[in-house]
Amino acid sequence: MPDISAKIAGLELENPLILASGILDENGYTMRRIMEEGAAAVVTKSIGIDERAGYRPPVIAEVDSGLLNAVGLANPGIESFGEEIEIALTAGKPVIGSIFASTVEDFVNLAEKMEKFSVSGVELNLSCPHVEGFGTEVGSDASLVEEIVTEIKKKISVPLFAKLSPNVSNMLEIAKAAERADAYVLINTVRGMSIDINARKPVLSNRYGGLSGSAIKPVGIRYVYEVKKETGKEIVGVGGIETGYDAIEYIMAGASALQIGTALFRHGRRVFDLVNGQINDFMAREKVDRIDELIGVAISG
Amino acid sequence: MICVAVTGKREETPLVSTLYFEWDQIVKPGQFVMVWLPDVGEIPMSLSITEGTKAITVKEYGPTSKALRNLEPGDRLFFRGPYGDSFTPAEGEVLLVGGGTGMASLRPLISLNSSAVVSARNEKELLFDDEFERERIFRVTDDGSAGVKGTPVDQLRSMDLERFSMLYVCGPEKMLKAVHDYLKGRNVKAEFSLERLMKCGIGICDSCSVDGYQLCRDGPVFDIESIGRMREFGVTKLTDSGRRVKI
Ligand SMILES: Cc1cc2nc3c(=O)[nH]c(=O)nc-3n(C[C@H](O)[C@H](O)[C@H](O)COP(=O)(O)O)c2cc1C
Ligand code: FES
Repeated sequence: MPDISAKIAGLELENPLILASGILDENGYTMRRIMEEGAAAVVTKSIGIDERAGYRPPVIAEVDSGLLNAVGLANPGIESFGEEIEIALTAGKPVIGSIFASTVEDFVNLAEKMEKFSVSGVELNLSCPHVEGFGTEVGSDASLVEEIVTEIKKKISVPLFAKLSPNVSNMLEIAKAAERADAYVLINTVRGMSIDINARKPVLSNRYGGLSGSAIKPVGIRYVYEVKKETGKEIVGVGGIETGYDAIEYIMAGASALQIGTALFRHGRRVFDLVNGQINDFMAREKVDRIDELIGVAISG
Repeated sequence: MICVAVTGKREETPLVSTLYFEWDQIVKPGQFVMVWLPDVGEIPMSLSITEGTKAITVKEYGPTSKALRNLEPGDRLFFRGPYGDSFTPAEGEVLLVGGGTGMASLRPLISLNSSAVVSARNEKELLFDDEFERERIFRVTDDGSAGVKGTPVDQLRSMDLERFSMLYVCGPEKMLKAVHDYLKGRNVKAEFSLERLMKCGIGICDSCSVDGYQLCRDGPVFDIESIGRMREFGVTKLTDSGRRVKI
C-alpha cells in the first residue's frame, strides 16, 4: 500500500486533500462532516473584520467545465466565526483560517484572532477577484503584500499560507514579495463573466465573477510549475482538481498538497475519498511509495 | 438557465399566487428550482405541480418573490434545476401536514388517498385546503378564524395517526420541530421537507447546510430519524452572512 500522507509547511496531513476556501466552509458542522468524510483538513471561507452579507443571488452560475462565482466575501465577521471553528475542530483534524482585509493592520489583527481560535494555519486571501478594495487589489500590490506577510509572520507562530491570484500581470513578482510565507496556495479563481442570451444580461448580480473548476486546471498547473521552479518553496495546488489524475498532475508540477472546491459540485462530499482512491491506485501502479517522490518531477530546464 | 413563458396564473390567497408553465422535464414531488429574476435576484421555489403542466406557488416576502408574483401570463420565467431529493411515494392513506406556503411543496402529493392538516395564520391564508374532500381536510389557524385554533400539533393530538402509511410535513422550522417532537417515538413513518436560505442550489455555498448535510443536495426531504439526529434542526441557522442565530 502506498503512503498517501502529505506534509506542507510543517503540517502533517493524513492525505494530500484539503477543502478549498469558500466552498462548504461557513458552517462548523459542514467542515466537520467534510473532514469525517475524507478531507485531511479544511480551509475556512475567507473571514474579515466586519460582517458582510455578500452579493445578492445569483452568486453562482454553471458554465462549461466549471463554475463562475461572485459570492462577495459574505462572512459573519471574525468575532462570530470562532464558534464555527470550535465545532469544526471536533473532527480532530487541522483547520486553516482564511482571512481577507484591505490594510496591514486588519490582516495582522485577523491572523492573531485566528491563531487564538486554535487554527493550524492561516491562509491569506490575496486574490479574491470580485470585491473592490479587497483581494486582488491588495494582492497585486507587491510592496503591500510583502508588508502584510512580514508583519503577520512576526505575530503568529502557526504556518502562514499566501494564496495568490492568477489575475495579475506578474505572479512571480507577487510570489517573491510573499516569500516569507511558509507556503503558497496557487491558484484562486480566474476573472470571468457569463451572459444569459435570453435575458440579455449578465447572470451574476455582480456581473463579473471568478471562474473555477476543470476549465482553469491548465492555468493552475502552469503557475504551480513556474513558481515551484523559480522559488523552490512549498505549494498547495488548487484549481480544477476533480480526479486523482488531476491531483497527481499538480504534484508533478510541484505541489506538496492540494485543495478541492468546485469538484464538490460534480461529485458531492465523496470527492475526497474518490480522489484519494485514485491517487493510491496510481501510486500502486507506478510503484511509488510516498507522495514526496512525485513532487515536481515534471520540472526540467 | 432555462427560459419558458408563464402560461397561467391563479391567485391563491391575498399574498400567494401560482404560476403555470410548460416544462418537459421529469420532476418529483419535493424537488425545487432556482428562479431568477434578472436585475432582482434568485430564490429557491418548490414545484407545486410536478406532472404535466408545471407550477410554482409564490408568497410575496422579499423583493424577488414580489417581482416573481408580479409576473403575468406571457412573461418569461428563468430558472435552473430541478434540484434536491424528493418525498418517498407511499401506498395507502397518507397525511400531509403543511404550514403556510409549506403546502406548496406538498401540493404534488395530493391524491384520492391523501388527507391534510393545513395551517396558517388565519382563514384567508390557508393554502390548497379546497383541494381536499370535506372529511379529508383539517384546518388549523393561529387566530381560530377557521378550524382548530392553535398549531398543527393541537390537531394531530386528536387524530389516529397510525392509520396513515406516511406523514409528509413541510412548513416553518419551528412547526417542523414541534411536529417532529410530537411524532418521535410513535409508530409512524414521516418525512420532513426543511427550508433554509439557499444561495447556490448545487451544494457549494454552505448557506443551506444543517449538520453538514446540504439541503439543496442531500435534502430538502429527510426522514424523521435523520432530522432527529441533526443538532441544528429547530435550534440554530446561519444568516446570509453566515452568522449563527437562534431559530
Ligand atoms: C463559490 C466559491 C467561493 C469561493 N470563495 C473563496 C474565498 O472566500 N476565499 C478564497 O481564498 N477563495 C475562494 N474561492 C476560490 C477557491 O478556494 C479555489 O481557489 C478555486 O475555486 C479553484 O479551485 P477549484 O477549481 O477546485 O474550485 C471560492 C471559489 C468558489 C467556487
Ligand atoms: S444552497 Fe448552496 S450549498 Fe445548498
